[in-house]
Amino acid sequence: MGTDPIISLCGLRVAYGSNEVLKGIDLSIAQGSFVALLGASGCGKTTLLRALSGFTPASGGSINVNGRDIQNEPPERRGMAMVFQSYALWSHMSVAQNMGYGLKLRRVPRDEIKRRVDDLLSMLGLSGYGERSVNELSGGQRQRVALGRALAVEPQILLLDEPLSNLDARIRLQMRHEIRSIQRQLGVTAILVTHDREEAMVMADQVVILDQGKIAQIGSPEEVYQRPQTPYVASFMGAENIIDCETERDREQVLLRVARVPQAAVSVDSTPDSPAPIGRVQVHFRSEMASLGEADNPSADSLRIPGKITQVSYLGGGYRCEIKTECGQFFIDHPRHVQSGDATTVNIPVPALHVFPRDPAREVRPPS
Amino acid sequence: MATLRLRKSLPLLALLMPALLMVGLLFVYPLLFSLAYAFRDESSGGWYLGNFTKAFALYGGDIWLTVVVTLLSTALVGVLAVAIAGYLTLGENSRAVAALRWIYRWPMFIPFVVAAQLMRTFLAKSGMLNNSLMSLGLLEPLNAMSLLDWRGVVVTFVWKQLPFAALLISGAMASMDRSLMESARGLGAGRLRILLEIVLPQVSATVWVSLILSFVTMLSALSVPMMIIAGSPTMLTVDMAWRVNSYGDYGVANALGFVSFAMSGLAAWFYLRQGLREGGQPT
Repeated sequence: MGTDPIISLCGLRVAYGSNEVLKGIDLSIAQGSFVALLGASGCGKTTLLRALSGFTPASGGSINVNGRDIQNEPPERRGMAMVFQSYALWSHMSVAQNMGYGLKLRRVPRDEIKRRVDDLLSMLGLSGYGERSVNELSGGQRQRVALGRALAVEPQILLLDEPLSNLDARIRLQMRHEIRSIQRQLGVTAILVTHDREEAMVMADQVVILDQGKIAQIGSPEEVYQRPQTPYVASFMGAENIIDCETERDREQVLLRVARVPQAAVSVDSTPDSPAPIGRVQVHFRSEMASLGEADNPSADSLRIPGKITQVSYLGGGYRCEIKTECGQFFIDHPRHVQSGDATTVNIPVPALHVFPRDPAREVRPPS
Repeated sequence: MATLRLRKSLPLLALLMPALLMVGLLFVYPLLFSLAYAFRDESSGGWYLGNFTKAFALYGGDIWLTVVVTLLSTALVGVLAVAIAGYLTLGENSRAVAALRWIYRWPMFIPFVVAAQLMRTFLAKSGMLNNSLMSLGLLEPLNAMSLLDWRGVVVTFVWKQLPFAALLISGAMASMDRSLMESARGLGAGRLRILLEIVLPQVSATVWVSLILSFVTMLSALSVPMMIIAGSPTMLTVDMAWRVNSYGDYGVANALGFVSFAMSGLAAWFYLRQGLREGGQPT
């Protein structure tokens, strides 16, 4: 993987009328990398992709590709090929004609088109399908043809707009790895739009999380998963249990106390690099990082909150339990079956706690 | 068992009957009657082909003119309607698109007879077209000529029928998945190429349907050739009206009607085949 940025966005803004969808995006993407734009619907991730490809005009900022501003170039001259959620295959053409269309536009000789399409068909596991109508293919096969059509023109940049969303769960898992390995093999720079965090983490080297038209966090999958920088990122990456707490400085350490359960308190790490916020905070943690009952090793290193089990459902690997406590409801994953209605204690180890200054919007909401 | 089934289907029949009777009495019966009477010798009461020989001898040229004028108009309607619909779908200047969208439908609301009257004042020797060209210095007054012949009919037909075809075709284009066009653009196709190679094949069924309906409409218009063409050669509808009104000669009029029916029948066959193909194609 190279390190020169192939794409750099600077203060990119897009507005639909008076509604500003992208509010200043700064992003650079390295040659040959695989970047996922991740976010809830309406966060602007698809708009960002469409602004890159030229289908949606930007209202401000710049888009540089290979150091050249392409803001005013029409989509057909941007050298980016796009794969759509709806596949967007042309039903009046065969599989081979679909895949060879971009080459035909580039006046590649017919024999050469045939050779390259055949290579792509075999790379995508579609050998022998060239003469079929695209209407005869399954969803997974159609998406492979769409991918092949985009790759046939050997684009510098491959744009993937939720390419797997219309596929069955099983095919989707398989296609993730296929697309990833093809991208590595060809060394093309890929940008994926998705709302599925697992998909983003499996496929991408770099995850860009968007929230309301701004970048909330950029980092490797490990970084955004383990060290979310905002409550939005923490929730989006699966730390969806939230406790309102207060923190205070206690000599060298920071003491964290649950607002409505005074006996639940723990010392948290506060390093100069990542100082713990002081005052009113919100703490996020993942269902699978906490445990129930007497912890195997009850130590000062975990936050312990008493509560009652209100619901238990089987997930396959274990049980997901809904726990009602003085400071709200939590979902906790537990390996063994527990009885609904029993009293229990939620143990959350300190490393699993993500502490953020409390969002003012949480203050007005009455605690559940 | 059979009576039970009959009792069950009686209300259905009762519901269908008025519609069937209306179609039968007002449409099927007169149609078959006039088709049959094309072969009838009214003086002797026998059956023969004399009406057809007479029709071809007197109006052979007009039959050709009708075929040529209608086909040419249909072709022009097709080309222009695809161009308009294509611009409405792929155009990027939003003001121009909005203006075109607003303006192109107007002729649809003007009746054929009014359209013909408009064209008479526009295309005449001293009409608006020639006057404008002369005042611009593009045309010498001596060279000015009237376009009130078959050319005027073509112009009127196209002007009148174009909005209908453009409306149908642009509707079909608008309902296409935009990503079909965007994927082609991303691969490097310009807009004209996208119109011809991606959009047109996808909406071809609608294009055919709108052209066939336009063809049949133009074939049956009486007022336009009547008002625009002074004298001969003219179109079949005018000849039919002439045979009936001036001579009371229903035999030849029916024979001409038969010819015109055969032409629209051919178009209808295309239409049905297109409908079958469209219905049978998985999308």
